[in-house]
Amino acid sequence: MKKSYTGAFRLFTLLLVMMMVLSACGGGTETAEPAAGAAESGQAAAGGGTAAEDDKSEDGLVSIEDFDTAAANEGTAIEGGSLNYGLVSDTPFEGTLNPLFSSGVPDANVSQFFSESMLTVDENYVYTNDGAATYEVSDDGRVFTFTIRDEVNWSDGKPVTAEDWIFAFEVIGHPEYDGPRYGSDIENIEGMAEYHEGKADTISGLVALSDKKLRMTFLKATPSLLSGGLWTSVVPKHVYGDIPITEMAAAPETREHPIGFGPFVVDRIVPGESVTYKRNDNYWRGKPALDGVTLRVVSPSTVVQQLETGGVDLVDAFPADQYPDNADMSNVQYLGDTDAAYTYIGFKLGTWDKKAKEVVTNPDAKMADVNLRKAMWYAVDNDQVGQRFYHGLRWNATTLIAPSHPDFHDTENPGVAYDPEEAKRLLDEAGYKMDGEFRTNPDGTPLEINFVSMTGSDVAEPLAQYYVQSWKAIGLNVKLEMLEFNTFYDRVGQNGDDDPSVDVFQGAWSLGYDVDPTALYGRDALFNFSRWSNEENDRLLKEGVSEASMDVAHRQQVYKDWQQLMVDEVPVFPTLYRASLVPVNKRVMNYDIATGSGVYLYQLALNSDKPVVAE
Amino acid sequence: MWKTIVRRIFVMIPQIFFLSLLVFLLAKAMPGDALTGSIDPNIDPAAIEAQRERLGLNNPWFIQYWDWIKNAVTGDLGQSFRFKMPVTQLIGERMMNTVWLSVATLILTYVIAVPLGIISGRYNDTWSDRLITGYTYLGFAAPLFIFALLMLWVFGFQLGWFPTEGSVAPGSAAGTFAYAMSKIYHLLLPSLSMALITTVSTVQYLRSEIIDTKQKDFVLTARAKGASESRIYNRHILRNSLLPIAAFFGYEITGLIGGTVFIENIFSYPGMGQLFISSISIRDFSVVTSLVLLFGIASIVGALLSDMILSAVDPRIRIK
Repeated sequence: MKKSYTGAFRLFTLLLVMMMVLSACGGGTETAEPAAGAAESGQAAAGGGTAAEDDKSEDGLVSIEDFDTAAANEGTAIEGGSLNYGLVSDTPFEGTLNPLFSSGVPDANVSQFFSESMLTVDENYVYTNDGAATYEVSDDGRVFTFTIRDEVNWSDGKPVTAEDWIFAFEVIGHPEYDGPRYGSDIENIEGMAEYHEGKADTISGLVALSDKKLRMTFLKATPSLLSGGLWTSVVPKHVYGDIPITEMAAAPETREHPIGFGPFVVDRIVPGESVTYKRNDNYWRGKPALDGVTLRVVSPSTVVQQLETGGVDLVDAFPADQYPDNADMSNVQYLGDTDAAYTYIGFKLGTWDKKAKEVVTNPDAKMADVNLRKAMWYAVDNDQVGQRFYHGLRWNATTLIAPSHPDFHDTENPGVAYDPEEAKRLLDEAGYKMDGEFRTNPDGTPLEINFVSMTGSDVAEPLAQYYVQSWKAIGLNVKLEMLEFNTFYDRVGQNGDDDPSVDVFQGAWSLGYDVDPTALYGRDALFNFSRWSNEENDRLLKEGVSEASMDVAHRQQVYKDWQQLMVDEVPVFPTLYRASLVPVNKRVMNYDIATGSGVYLYQLALNSDKPVVAE
Repeated sequence: MWKTIVRRIFVMIPQIFFLSLLVFLLAKAMPGDALTGSIDPNIDPAAIEAQRERLGLNNPWFIQYWDWIKNAVTGDLGQSFRFKMPVTQLIGERMMNTVWLSVATLILTYVIAVPLGIISGRYNDTWSDRLITGYTYLGFAAPLFIFALLMLWVFGFQLGWFPTEGSVAPGSAAGTFAYAMSKIYHLLLPSLSMALITTVSTVQYLRSEIIDTKQKDFVLTARAKGASESRIYNRHILRNSLLPIAAFFGYEITGLIGGTVFIENIFSYPGMGQLFISSISIRDFSVVTSLVLLFGIASIVGALLSDMILSAVDPRIRIK
């Protein structure tokens, strides 16, 4: 009897473990979502966020305009003080605190306090001359000369030099390097390909003109170089120089006592759970206002309690679905900014040719008729979706360049607005005739569309069902399949093996610094999941990164045309733009989450030595 | 008996080998791999493909299995893709946390179970017995993860008596007295939460064993000889009733593995259970397979340990 009981107990435990595993997968995608950095972003989950279960009145809704990006700065700052920073994650941080090897958002957040990029960016993600180094570009746009400021020193006192910068490239380009950074942008440096193949010992395009001056020569001039196209994260050569490249990521110099030239210095790391930082008195911008920072990993399920009790002053990201219930937390101010991301619905229009490494668009694909695609866009009301499912924290998207890139997002392009009558008219004209409940193909065969979407949050499925119903309302027979994140991308074609049964899919992208969408919509882009191609598209994408586009006005026009082309052709259509929210304790001053705000971490200050606690 | 143990250990080897094969195949059957998470317009697909090739993810499964098992036999469990460090080192870091958590839980489990079981068995069908059995039924019914969340909320956040996450206070230096105290302080709430739930089965065993034993003839004999009531319970009944509890010890270890998975996640306690869950969701195969293998070995060893204890404490049982 005892035996069978223990058996049952263990089985039960196992079942619970399974349940936990499943929900953990969902949770994982959910927390990976508010990524907004450049190097670390990944694809955002399709449906994560706010569930407005009860039908709240209009004033229950919020809009991105209601939020500031900067802390209100009430009161006066005290001398020193220590700030508690919460890293919201359901797993420990990896601890690869070296920009050449790290790949997770958590590690980037840990690093920001002690490590800095060489260059800063403005609100359009274009490099400025306000950072640790300044730069000049030659007339042909191929040669960059960087000058590192004299006062920029590693926290151990040694100067940051041009050699350190070159060293970063030598690691990334090395044949033994096993991180994810070596790509076409790195290969654009003159002599990099030869070095990578082992044919050269040095990289000919990188020349140290002096200790503090570096000349970088590129093969091709492109405007992308000015926004995210340069490698600006540097590691100290005098620390890493003697460590074999294969051992760098696991070395104690990376995991236990990393150094940088940022406003704070790592004091002590408890692997995976917490880091304490001290002030870097020799920081090049000036003495930081705080004495130190304590960073702890905080679980998404307890972050609200931590904020209410003042356990943490500041978090890196806040789970959007917890906002409605905690919107009136009295001791915090919510900062909000437009996320560099969008959700979209894509149509499968071809396949991927693995040999030629390019898309093959199939003119006879089920979704090949542009009128069918456009009708499906007309049929969905994304303003309602944003309000009903996301409390207004997401809103209708118009074009494929998000408003997070204000210079290039075309505010005058309305996209395709909700109009079910127009949708029906388009379908009627294109020959999709009603036959009973649903429409048929123009040749009279039944039309059944397979739609796949990702699981991940509570609203993922209801949201996808809403789209199915909207399409049913215009007479389209759409079958929905909800897939877990990994399966979704396997079937949509992350390896190039597109599942032919997928016709329509809902995904999301978070974007990098550069506005260039070639990696997502180019003819040779694996991530062009719709497998659509067109000569005008090729031309515009190429023009956008050409030398002529070094002129911002020209580039704006190119991308304006491209946004219109995508509205006309609809290989994919954007559904929602999104906001990211960051709650900040009311004692925190001088903090701004906007890109290129000009407010830096060394200015971060407190107006009281005790956190404000919720009433 | 030693012969039996050696034989059992030999039987373990094919068991573990079969387990490793099963675990490996199941892990590979999961959709996606560690690089699926890096679908990112900022990372060159060619770089991702090059990494896949280097990690051997494009090889057929039997080659991948062979590569893995031949290193595993020599103690090299491979490299964690996510943490970019050797799996053995990574698990070593986390294992001590889980071991401490399990030890604390075990101690608390017995500290709670023995007195409650004795009271409830000795004074069965009184009010104190009803209270205790009432608690055990509640314990059976309450899911561990809900109970632990409740404990965290009440004692961690509302009353603020215990730390709410991590295994040690930020900034503690390893090796100091303050570090050790901080470790223990961080252990208390998670281990107590788990012990309060896992102890209920032990309480019940002990209770029914005591009720069973106190009606045995030898107890009557002891009473007839005029032995005091406390001597009867402490010397005669308790020793006999503890036998199955002692034997259950090995299985208890196995059960703790399942429990720590929840507890570590709820209390953000960086142990093996938490590592396991997060490695599954990001498809860090080398870590997942190593951990399952480790858990499997722990279960097999736990069962062996139980049998050994049983034969050691109960002269009637002899393993042949």
